Amino acid sequence: MLKVFDLSALLLVAAIFTMPSGSIVAQDIVLGASVQLTGPVANTGRYYRDAYQLAIEKINAAGGVKVGNESHKLALKLYDNQSDVNLSVRQYTQLVSQDKVDFLLGPFASNFALADSAVSEKYRIPMVQGGGASDQIFSRKFRYIFGTLAPASNYFGSTVEMLKGLDPAPKSVALLYADDAFDVSVAEGTRPKLKKAGLTLVMDERYSTNATDFNSLLSQIRTKNIDAVLVAGHETEILNFVRQAKSLAVAPKMYSFTVGVPSEDFRKALGKDADYAFGMTAWLPSADLKDRWFGDAAQFAAAYKAKFDYDPDYHAASGVADVEALVQAVETAGSTDPEKVRDALSKVKFDSLYGPIAFNENGQIDLPQTVIQIQGDRLVAIYGANGKIAQPKYPMPAWNAR
Amino acid sequence: MDLLAQILINGIFLGGLYAVMALGLALVWGVLNIVNLAHGAFIMLGAYVSWYLYTYTGIDPFLGLPITAAVMFALGYAVQRSVLNLIVRAPMFNTLLITFGLEVVLTYLAQLAFSADFRTINPAYAGDSIVLGPVVLPVARLLAFGIAIVLTVGMWLFLLHTRLGRAIRATAQNLVAARLYGVEPRHLYAMTFGIGIALAGMAGGLYGTVSQINPYIGAALTAKSFAISIIGGLDNPLGVIVGGLFLGILESLTALYIGSTFSDVASFGVLVLVLIVRPNGLLGKAA
Repeated sequence: MLKVFDLSALLLVAAIFTMPSGSIVAQDIVLGASVQLTGPVANTGRYYRDAYQLAIEKINAAGGVKVGNESHKLALKLYDNQSDVNLSVRQYTQLVSQDKVDFLLGPFASNFALADSAVSEKYRIPMVQGGGASDQIFSRKFRYIFGTLAPASNYFGSTVEMLKGLDPAPKSVALLYADDAFDVSVAEGTRPKLKKAGLTLVMDERYSTNATDFNSLLSQIRTKNIDAVLVAGHETEILNFVRQAKSLAVAPKMYSFTVGVPSEDFRKALGKDADYAFGMTAWLPSADLKDRWFGDAAQFAAAYKAKFDYDPDYHAASGVADVEALVQAVETAGSTDPEKVRDALSKVKFDSLYGPIAFNENGQIDLPQTVIQIQGDRLVAIYGANGKIAQPKYPMPAWNAR
Repeated sequence: MDLLAQILINGIFLGGLYAVMALGLALVWGVLNIVNLAHGAFIMLGAYVSWYLYTYTGIDPFLGLPITAAVMFALGYAVQRSVLNLIVRAPMFNTLLITFGLEVVLTYLAQLAFSADFRTINPAYAGDSIVLGPVVLPVARLLAFGIAIVLTVGMWLFLLHTRLGRAIRATAQNLVAARLYGVEPRHLYAMTFGIGIALAGMAGGLYGTVSQINPYIGAALTAKSFAISIIGGLDNPLGVIVGGLFLGILESLTALYIGSTFSDVASFGVLVLVLIVRPNGLLGKAA
């Protein structure tokens, strides 16, 4: 009996002692997110966890967020959605209904953002997400979703521009894409661009997400003698695609991939075979991109690498931009009221390490994609919004001539 | 025509790889009556063993297969004696539950140990190919196919002609009679599971030379192996080769003529058909 009493007294004491820290947390501005920390896309999910943490750390170190005359610290409430869309929707619901977070940051990938934005819309809590680029996310007239990835439909925009000017000009194009929200949007956006550029689309093939065998598609690319291959898919598929292209000796004049090429992990996994691959990125760690908290993008990239021991790519920069956009909006609104912050977000305009941040009426950013290519062990910017930046290695030599 | 020939070759090579993947699953299923849902996770672990051997000691992934097999055999033996032996005579549902749990545990342990980074086993010749007129034979796949045939035929001969193999078959057919003849089932079950996992491990090593590896590849490989075991039948390792080749060719042709999105529809559609028409597999005894 006495034991039970002792225990409850102890618990009471513990509760009293932990209360003060509890009340400090209440003053923090809490950002909630559910991110893929395990499961098949954990590899990209980690960019968002690390970006959110680093951004919040940096902003807090600089004094936090000014709301009126008061300074508030930022805090992060993060869940692991195990790469499961349904779990991520449940976690976002929990974040707003039970954890009562102030604002939401996004998950990685379009199919997640597509589902999760329904939660922010229902509870009228703004979500700024940097992981979903599909145009579908923003075509539903949702008011509380904002996105910092450039539209999926324009991922191949700059690539098609570049294709027009290549010598010898590519005569035939293949477009291969996975059957998910992001990649379907990419394909839908790319078709009219190819047509307008006068390029002939010879193969237009959809494949299952998580396909591991591309031998049939590659054999067709070979037989049809296709010059330019554009692939919209996931990193695992693209790794398999490149390896199998080599093993079947399929070497079109060029190939370009929506994901993989900018990330260090991709280049490590393929080694020398990654050479000549084209890709795109809306972000490169340039010192020209000035930032209020990090100085500039180059300093951000260095700080990120020092802390997490791998290079950031555009996913990470986009994640940081999400936190910064929310902070800017809260400061402009002078309030943490979700409605006021939403309105401030819709008018937000500032320069960041990710680029100039502003949202169109649907809530999506518009950033041009820079074509990049792996040349030896370097990642080279080839073609940007203002035309050619560097000479592409084109055409790609046969595999046995490398 | 050239394209069709190439697609058939692709399908045959793919089928060889599929067969090695399914071989261990079919053996364990046939003898222990355990549908090992963690089979793909063991393939994944085998791939990582080969990857470590190649990356850190430079051992060629094909020559290193016996080492991978030995490591995975030990793991399989231990897992059977410590975990699976508890449920070996239990209802099917329990075996599904425990192997499913094992799959989850192995996958997440793998992520902790190896990270979610993508790996490839990429020796210099992995991307080489032999050009034979209009068709291209990828060297790594050709090797994988050759090893698949050797392993399957070896497995068949082993089950037919060695004492251990005969004991394994006897136990599968009639446990009581096998015991009367001096077979010790506990050891034999663990040996069988160990062999099954060693085969899975070697399949993983081969898989890593043609595809990418990450901790999450297991579940899809279990599903493939399951389909192949059903299509080929559990009676005989040669059935697995037939099932593997059948599925490999079918998927390649579907991708060519119908569309890549339909490959899985075709393979699982055939699975359902086989279950209806020949529930003991294409080579199995008619129902």
